[in-house]
Amino acid sequence: MSSSGQAVIAVASGKGGTGKTTVAAHLALAASLCKSSILVDLDVEAPDVLGYFPQATRAGAGEPVLVRVPRVNQSICTGCGLCAKLCRFGAIVALRDTVTIGQDICKGCGRCVSACPAGALYEESVEVGATAAFKAALDSSGRAIGIVEGRSAIGDIRTTAVIEAAKRRSRELARQDGAELVVRDCPPGISCPATHAIEGADFVILVAEPTEFSVHDLDAALRYIAASGLSAGVVVNKDGFGSADIDAVCARYRIPIIARIAFDRGRAASGAAGRLWDDDPAAMAEMEKMLAAALGADRAGGRA
Amino acid sequence: MKIAVASGKGGAGKTSIAAALAASIGPSCVMADCDVDAANAAIALGSTVRERRDYSAGLSFFIDPESCVGCGKCEEACRFEAIRTLPGTQKREIAGELCERCGACFDRCPAGAVKTEDKVAGELFVSDTRIGPSLVHAELVPGEDTSGKLVYQVRVRADSLAGESRHIVVDAPPGIGCPVIASLSGIDLVLIVVEASVSGIQDAKRLIELVAKMKRGSIAIINKAGLDAGMDERARSMLAEAGIAIVGEIPFDPSLRSAEESGATWIAVEGEAGDKARHAIAALRRAMNEGGEQ
Repeated sequence: MSSSGQAVIAVASGKGGTGKTTVAAHLALAASLCKSSILVDLDVEAPDVLGYFPQATRAGAGEPVLVRVPRVNQSICTGCGLCAKLCRFGAIVALRDTVTIGQDICKGCGRCVSACPAGALYEESVEVGATAAFKAALDSSGRAIGIVEGRSAIGDIRTTAVIEAAKRRSRELARQDGAELVVRDCPPGISCPATHAIEGADFVILVAEPTEFSVHDLDAALRYIAASGLSAGVVVNKDGFGSADIDAVCARYRIPIIARIAFDRGRAASGAAGRLWDDDPAAMAEMEKMLAAALGADRAGGRA
Repeated sequence: MKIAVASGKGGAGKTSIAAALAASIGPSCVMADCDVDAANAAIALGSTVRERRDYSAGLSFFIDPESCVGCGKCEEACRFEAIRTLPGTQKREIAGELCERCGACFDRCPAGAVKTEDKVAGELFVSDTRIGPSLVHAELVPGEDTSGKLVYQVRVRADSLAGESRHIVVDAPPGIGCPVIASLSGIDLVLIVVEASVSGIQDAKRLIELVAKMKRGSIAIINKAGLDAGMDERARSMLAEAGIAIVGEIPFDPSLRSAEESGATWIAVEGEAGDKARHAIAALRRAMNEGGEQ
């Protein structure tokens, strides 16, 4: 368990569309029977968790995610160009003694501001996205899931800042609610949005489907997981939908398969319409298995 | 013409549809697989690598534990919480998964303990395909954080391969962030694949906003239709509201999946689903020709 007292499960995959959001939503649902849990949508470019919880109501204000970007005080700037030379993001151009800053490309690291010998750079905050908190009631007995959503601003490339803000907010909400579990719905892929979303998790669930595309992308995701030493398990979703060999790739990386959800057209139709599988005992039993595997590994001391 | 296939949501059918389009155009097409995190076009088109080169993402930073004096100045400088204390010491290390590679720590370290290295972050390939089109694709080293830059490299190589005369089909990654923006820049037409589902429609809406912001033309295809009639209708009305023409609707049908396993693209599939895919791709190509004449 993480130092904050919450167990954090990250639901990820290499390929998109394998069922991350579906698994994350149902894990939180399964967990809600015995513990208080927070579900956090870290797929900030394409946030879809709320699609499963249309009844959710706002819990707390929306918070902007701000990044501090530099501006030039032209009357002080000597045009030395050191800022442009230091910037690793290509966000600053110094041309004929004039410095221009690409506000959209700047990551807000502050390196140029600290380094400017003339003190000609100052910072202003720009909004790169927002986080919001919700509560979704599950029945009339008061059973509910807390939801945090991160949402990047359209056209903004600083999605990792939004992911980190949503992670922080999920931790705060979990502390506030005394939640024992945080389930993270992560973005697809294996580059920075995914690695940010996974960082700090106690257990990673990789969702795959038995297709050649998914197995290829799972291989890459497992390579990352294996190299970083995280505890992880694989869930086969849409089992039987294709014949690609997920077992073989998992065996190669010694990562266990912790649940299998059989392909069924009715389940696919429910997913399309944003209906939970709460009346589908076979699917919910697989969610219980995942939860036991993830929390069991957590209790056993985590990192393999 | 340069056309990009994008969807916002992952798993909406981008790669399958892009491969079907590329197969329909044939050898006068270059396909650029810009989903460098999860590159699957090479599988879809059945390809053989004919050219490869290393991709370097530029400098990354690390702290030499021997030289670190444990002063914590790097941690103060870092705005990304990417500096950790090594257990049982005051020495620091950089958490690669959080580091933005800005170099702020490098400037502040009084001991010169922050070092740089130039790592290979991926590979760039040009491949021949069984079906005809040339394919430019890449593989990112898992965990590397520069997929936007690698997408740019794929685009540049595809442009030089295509020259003036060949069509380029770009298979974009999911989402609407940095690598998607790199995939859509300078594109003539964006084919928006709308999965007929709550999340597919939501994510396509955000993509449509991005495409409008980037001032690119767009056209749409609805995929995985027929699972829920209400969702099919919702997808149609969302696109009508956005003023985006629909070239076709492809049903959710396992026959498409099994065709892929035997190495065929969707336009080579027998039966109703295959017919719908063929019709959609034919309508798309008519629209591309009209657009190309303008």
